[in-house]
Amino acid sequence: MDVSGVLEAHKQKFKSVSVEGKVIPLEYDLGLLTAYDQNPIDETELKKNKDEYLQSLSRDNAQLLFNEIFQLPTISDDNGVMAMLPVPTTLLPREKPLPKPKPETRWEKFAKAKGIVNRKKERMVFDDNTGEYKPRWGYKGINDDGSKDWIIEVPSGANPMEDQYEARREAKKERVEKNDKRRQRNMEEAAVASKMDQKTVNKGERPNMDNARAMKRKEIENQILISKNSTASAGKFDQAIKGDLKPKGIKRKFEPNVTADLSKEKAGNMSILDRVVGKNGEDLVNVRKAIKATKSRK
Amino acid sequence: MLRTITPRNARVKRVMKNREAKTEENIKTAIFIRGSQTSQIVNDALADLYMLKKPHAVNFTKKNQIHPFEDHSNLQFFSQKNDASLFVIGTHSKKRPNTLTFARMFDHQLLDMMEVSIEKGTPMKDFKTPKSAIGMKPCFMFNGDMWDQNPNYIMFKSMILDFYHGQTVDKVALAGLEYVISVTSGPMTSEGKPGKIYLRTYTIVLKRSGVKLPRIELVEMGPSMDMTFGRMTEAKIDVWKQSLRVPKELKPKKKKNITKDVMGDTVGRIHMGRQDFDKIQTRKMKGLKKRAAPTEESGESGDKKQRVDENDDEE
Repeated sequence: MDVSGVLEAHKQKFKSVSVEGKVIPLEYDLGLLTAYDQNPIDETELKKNKDEYLQSLSRDNAQLLFNEIFQLPTISDDNGVMAMLPVPTTLLPREKPLPKPKPETRWEKFAKAKGIVNRKKERMVFDDNTGEYKPRWGYKGINDDGSKDWIIEVPSGANPMEDQYEARREAKKERVEKNDKRRQRNMEEAAVASKMDQKTVNKGERPNMDNARAMKRKEIENQILISKNSTASAGKFDQAIKGDLKPKGIKRKFEPNVTADLSKEKAGNMSILDRVVGKNGEDLVNVRKAIKATKSRK
Repeated sequence: MLRTITPRNARVKRVMKNREAKTEENIKTAIFIRGSQTSQIVNDALADLYMLKKPHAVNFTKKNQIHPFEDHSNLQFFSQKNDASLFVIGTHSKKRPNTLTFARMFDHQLLDMMEVSIEKGTPMKDFKTPKSAIGMKPCFMFNGDMWDQNPNYIMFKSMILDFYHGQTVDKVALAGLEYVISVTSGPMTSEGKPGKIYLRTYTIVLKRSGVKLPRIELVEMGPSMDMTFGRMTEAKIDVWKQSLRVPKELKPKKKKNITKDVMGDTVGRIHMGRQDFDKIQTRKMKGLKKRAAPTEESGESGDKKQRVDENDDEE
C-alpha cells in the first residue's frame, strides 16, 4: 500500500520547517540562545520594505535557531520538558572581580588534620524532658543556658549557699565570650595571613596560615615600637614599664660626610629615586597630580 | 564616598553578603536614567528597555545632570548605592538628538560605554499585539557580516547580550522561550562609516508542522529602533582581561584517562606503579618449584615419563 502520496498531501498542509537560501551556515551560541548570521543583507529589499524584510529574515533565523535548540538533549522536569544547554562560548565580562579566598581558621586546620568531616544535622531534636521537638541551637533550643530548669542539684564540690541559677548564667556568658575571642583571633590571623601571602591570594588560593600567629605578634610589637617612638623625645625619657620590649637592633650608622668615593652616595640617591619615581615606584607618586600641583604653585 | 555599613541585624548582613563578590554572580541590574533634556522618542525607548529588563532594573524617574562622556563619577556612586553594573542614559540635544548611552561597570568602576542615536523608534505601546511575560529569557539574533569585525558592532553585541541574557543556566524550559531580539546591521555608508543597525523584538509563536520540529512564526512586539553609532569608550585592556577571568570552579572539568577509540568504544587507562616481577605474589605451581640438586635426574625424569606413557597406553 503506497502511503507516500497521503504523507505528501499531509505535509503540504503545513508550512516547512527548513530554511533555504543561507549561503553561509549560521553560527550558534546555544548557551546564550544566540544565532549569528553572517550572510550579507539584501540592500534593495531593505530599502523597499524594511520591516517585512527584517521580519522574514528574523523568522528564518529563528526557525534555524529553534531547530538547533530542539535537537539538544532534554530532560523532563516538574516544569515540563527542559533542554540541556551547553556552556556559552561568547565571553561576557563579570560585574565584580573574583572573590578572594578566605584563609583557613584554626578549627578547619585541626579538622583537616584529624579527618573530621562536617555532616549536616537535623535542626529539630526530640527533647525527652518536655516530650516535644526543639531546635538544636538558638531561640528556645534544648541547649539553652539551663537556668530554665525548675530544679538544679547542687554539684558535689560546690558551696551550698551559692546561687546555681546564677552560676549557670555566668557559665553561658563565659562560653559566649570565649567564642567571640576566638572569632576575633581568627579574623586577625586571617588578615595578617592575607597580607603576608599576597602571591597565593592573588592566584586565587587560600593563603598559608603557618606563620600567621608569629607574624601577628611581630606586627603588634612593631606597632608598640612605633608608638614609643612617636613621643616628643622619641621614647628616650619614657618611664620604663615592667615587661616592656627592648627594641632590638636599632643602631644608626652614619656615613662620613666627605668621601673620596662618591659612587656609594650616588647609588644611595639613585635607589631612593627609583623607589619613588622609577618603574618600581609607579604607585607611590601620582605624576600627573604632582605636575598639576607644581603648576598651580607657580 | 559611601559609608561602609556594619550590619547590625541578620537581614542587613544577608543583603551585604549578596552584594559581595561571588564565584557565580547575580544577574546584573540595570539603571535607566534620564539626562537633563530628553525627547519623547528617548523617553519611550527608555521605558521599553526598562520593561524588557524587569525585574532586574531600576528606573530613575527624575532628570539628572549627567554627561557620561565628560564625567562618569556619578555612575560610580549610583552603581555602588544600587548594586547595579549596567546603565542606560537617555539624552536629547540639538547636537546629539535622541541619544542612548549604554555603560557597563566592573567593580563599580567604568568598564566601557557606547552611544547610539535613535533615528526612528516605535515603542511597545504602538504595537497592538500580545507581549511576553516579564522576566523571560530571550533568544538573540545578530544578522549581517559586521558583527565580528568592527569594534562598534562588537561592543554593541556584547552590551545587548550582557543586558538581556538574564541568568546563565544549564537548562531551559522549551515552552518558556517567548521572545526574540533581532539586531541587523545595515550596509556601510558611502564614507565607509558604520551604517545603521535595526533592533526588532518579536514574540515567538510555535505552529504545528507535521514533523517533530515546530514551525516558527514571529509577531512584532516592540520596541523597534533604527540606530546609528556615536561615541565609544573602550575598556582598558588589563581591566577587560580581569573581568573576563573565569573562576576555577566554573571551568569545564576535563575527564582524564578516558578516550573513545576508532570503533566508538570507550577505553580507559589505568596507571600501575612500578612492579618488581621477582617479588610478585602469584599462584603456586608445585611442579615448577626449584628442586634441591637431584642425584639421578635423568633417570627419574625418564621413569616419570615412562609412567605417563603407560597411563596413556592404558587409556
